[in-house]
Amino acid sequence: MSATPADTPVQISNTANRPGAPKGSARTARTRSRPGDLVFKGLSTGAASLIMAILAGVALFLIIKALPAITANWTTNPQLTTGVTQGHSSFWSYVAPLIWGTVFVSAIGLLIGAPIAIGIALFISHYAPRRVAGVLSYIVDLLAAVPSIVFGLWGIFVIRPFLLPLTGWLNHHLGWIPFFSGQASATGSTVLAGAVVLAVMVIPIITAISREIFLQTPRLHEEAALAMGATKWEMIRLAVFPYARSGMVSAILLGLGRALGETMAIALIVSPSLIFSLKILTDGQNSQTVAANAALNFPDANDLQRDALIGTGLVLFIITFAVNLIARLIVARTGPGAKGAKAKRRIQQLPPSDPSSVLLADAEAGPLHLRTSEGS
Amino acid sequence: MKLKNVAAVSAIALVTAIALSSCSSPSSPATTAPTKSAAPTVDLSTLSGTITSGGSSAQANAEAAWTAAFTSVATGVTINYDKSQGSGGGVTNWTGGSYDFAGTDSALNPAQVTAAATTCGAGGGLDLPVYLSGVAIIFNLPGVSKLNLDSKTIASIFNKTITKWNDPAIAALNKGVTLPADSITPVVRADGSGTTANFTTYLSETQPSIWTYPVSTAWPVTGESGQQGGSGVVSTVAAGKDTIGYADQSSVGTATQASIQQGTSGSTFVKYSASGATKAFQQGATTASNGTSGDLTQKFDVTKITSGYPIPLLSYAVVCTTFKDATQAKLTAAYLGFIDSANGQAVAAKNAGAAPLPAAILADVATSLKLVK
Repeated sequence: MSATPADTPVQISNTANRPGAPKGSARTARTRSRPGDLVFKGLSTGAASLIMAILAGVALFLIIKALPAITANWTTNPQLTTGVTQGHSSFWSYVAPLIWGTVFVSAIGLLIGAPIAIGIALFISHYAPRRVAGVLSYIVDLLAAVPSIVFGLWGIFVIRPFLLPLTGWLNHHLGWIPFFSGQASATGSTVLAGAVVLAVMVIPIITAISREIFLQTPRLHEEAALAMGATKWEMIRLAVFPYARSGMVSAILLGLGRALGETMAIALIVSPSLIFSLKILTDGQNSQTVAANAALNFPDANDLQRDALIGTGLVLFIITFAVNLIARLIVARTGPGAKGAKAKRRIQQLPPSDPSSVLLADAEAGPLHLRTSEGS
Repeated sequence: MKLKNVAAVSAIALVTAIALSSCSSPSSPATTAPTKSAAPTVDLSTLSGTITSGGSSAQANAEAAWTAAFTSVATGVTINYDKSQGSGGGVTNWTGGSYDFAGTDSALNPAQVTAAATTCGAGGGLDLPVYLSGVAIIFNLPGVSKLNLDSKTIASIFNKTITKWNDPAIAALNKGVTLPADSITPVVRADGSGTTANFTTYLSETQPSIWTYPVSTAWPVTGESGQQGGSGVVSTVAAGKDTIGYADQSSVGTATQASIQQGTSGSTFVKYSASGATKAFQQGATTASNGTSGDLTQKFDVTKITSGYPIPLLSYAVVCTTFKDATQAKLTAAYLGFIDSANGQAVAAKNAGAAPLPAAILADVATSLKLVK
């Protein structure tokens, strides 16, 4: 995203070497390193390697702890044939519905949350008066600081009863759609309620990132669109969205990462079953998520069952990793800095924005007074 | 992090519970403090040290009351009981050697007995009954404040054979009550729980032909509304309509309790009472040692309960016979001795709604505690 090429030497400490200073002196400054630089370089390198070590440590811990449960015989091992792991033929038959549930519930949460979040971001960046925008973005950021247990309790006492009438209505009138079928919940502990709370939880993340990206849209793109007679919405569609597309995708995937790992809100709100289910309005046919399942069953699990729960965590770890990887790939391939054919075509829909090509286009079209007189 | 959240909520709930109990009973636990009868051989005020323990959340309110009462006399002692661990976690930490004793709603299973022998040495570990309560059946049916149920209808409701409130089987037990034609929503525990184990024991012992599921800490029937914790079940039953659920008596609060038939026939229907649970223990429980000398594992035969509360809930403390540190052994034995004294049981009854254990079993526990060294 940064416009500064990596090879441009920038030395804040040396006033003579500000950008724009003669190049020769900058080159000599680079070879001269000071103790402060070395210390800072060491610290930041250390921080970077530490995070890798922590990540590797977590992965190693998960693998070592999970292995006994993954390799155990789930039909004969006395520790696994009781309690929470009862009735599963193998680790994979235990974890598969959990993975499905995690992805399913998160996806519905995103389906509800992402459009709202992008709407908020757009309002803040392009519609709201400056003062309102400041307050609003502050409030949305504040939402990210609310602990998930608070969202969980809010879900139990507010969202669950609030959604009950909607649950009944959807089930009664749209029950032929698989999502809304089944015996409608009387308690409100549905996937829908969980997903609504998840949506509220991912909104601050998606909003914050999208807002920053929307604000970075080149002013010239926007003004060019407006100058061509585009309405504000057309301007956003033609100038802002194409520019911010990859940013929005990565914002949504980061939100997905948050939703995948959400534990307490789901554990408190959703009535779980270890099944593959599309239903979102029932009490007894809600697909359970990995994190909520672990939180609910960890306290009463024996050693091997704890290993099994850690094993489900390992699978979630891998999925979250994959989601983030996909987010990175998308950003790398379609980001504003990428040289993909798609990006070029999109920009060509608009008049050129950088001053030199605008001037060039003007020069080609001839002097301004000639054009206006010819046109009229 | 996330598990810490559970602990945080539990802590808030615990503080609230203590606050509530002190509201309802103006006299503090200290008024029934263990001055004389607790452990005659030990002067509690000379004790000092820290007891580290944890496990069953059902016991937690009682543990808080016991801790307050015990430390008011044994002022040098600190007792930590971590209820966020649950029964399984408590036993795991205990066999791992980090707990002085663990609270658990189910006695040690054979695998845990073996593990305990490794941790505790030749003497092994002891199951000592400490906390007696009951599983209450709660419901929310608009317009109905009194509901009679027998074990057969309870089993049929919870295994989803009876699905409507106006089912003839329920109507026959509740003559004169207008039952709606609505669907029943059973609310159960989503997390593994000793309450579930005690409740499924009751169902499978009384109605083996209807309740064909195994006794389990995890709720065995799919397709019902699962909630986290006893308080989750209670709040969902209370907030819902046409709901029925089960919960440890200590978390029931103001929810409406169903009356349960004593025995398998007859017309006596009772709600939970402390004296009823004590009676149930006297009638139904027999000591069935797991083979370790001094072990007091209780086998409940709920079919033998004729005049007590039909669904008792018993929770244990498990402790090593041989401690690495003799001082620690003395301290832990003194605390457990206080819990299983008449005073200790009265403290739990007053502040945590527990039922006092009968004197006979308390004497057995005192004998077993002499083995703890």
